[in-house]
Amino acid sequence: MTALYVLDVVDFRILAEVASKDPTITVRRRGPYFELSSAGVIAIDRAETGCRNALWYSSVAAVKGGRVTTWDKVSLVVEPTSV
Amino acid sequence: MTELEHKVRGVDHAAFPTFDPKATIHFYRDVLGFPVVHATCALGWGPEAHPDFIHFFFDIGQGDRLAFFYYFGIEKYEDKNIPELIRKARHLAIHVDTEEDLAEYRRRLDASEWPCELQVRHETVESIYVTDPNGLLMEFARPLRAITVEDDIDANLSADALMAVFEDAEPTLEKFYALKAGIIAERYADEPAHHSYV
Repeated sequence: MTALYVLDVVDFRILAEVASKDPTITVRRRGPYFELSSAGVIAIDRAETGCRNALWYSSVAAVKGGRVTTWDKVSLVVEPTSV
Repeated sequence: MTELEHKVRGVDHAAFPTFDPKATIHFYRDVLGFPVVHATCALGWGPEAHPDFIHFFFDIGQGDRLAFFYYFGIEKYEDKNIPELIRKARHLAIHVDTEEDLAEYRRRLDASEWPCELQVRHETVESIYVTDPNGLLMEFARPLRAITVEDDIDANLSADALMAVFEDAEPTLEKFYALKAGIIAERYADEPAHHSYV
């Protein structure tokens, strides 16, 4: 299981909103964070978030059971860590 | 988290050496409009190598001050080997309240021989940057949003994770994210794990 944490502040809430539309991703609260979890890859399309540069590139709070494999102008992708 | 009482009240003064007091006073007082609020003129007070100096202060708001030392008879020292990363990391950011205030300081700089070098919207502040006559990188920053309780909690978790990853022989941001996720999972393990967002 891979989990991506984003902080529940106005800047990053949109990532949780976008992720919640993906049926493979479960979004729940974990303290002050949104926990976006999936059995597989977590991919978020930047255009859907509408995040400007500084927000997009500071949106990741933490990653569990996976690693960020793409974080560019187009998308943020977290893939499960292969064991 | 610290439980020590937080008694400090901002910056009394930050001080730097200057080898060009004329340009420094012109830049801060005449271009930016920072009042000169104090100057200590010391004859023979300093160490043997530089006994005579003037320590002068500019008001940077709320009683906080930016100060410079000018030492008489001392040759200009310039460290040309400072890496760009270090030069940019060392900077003083002066707070302004509004977009209009930030624009005003940009106007003042752009009308001078020290025009604004960069304007950036960061995560929580928008900033303009200029290098002062002494080679110091100065920033003016205005808030883009209020800082929340969540920001403070996150900052403390980041600090804990940073201290933990620094223990690693090869610290990486990837390891930091994993350590921080572990702290979050442990600290908020009792939170309701139901699908509570949508």
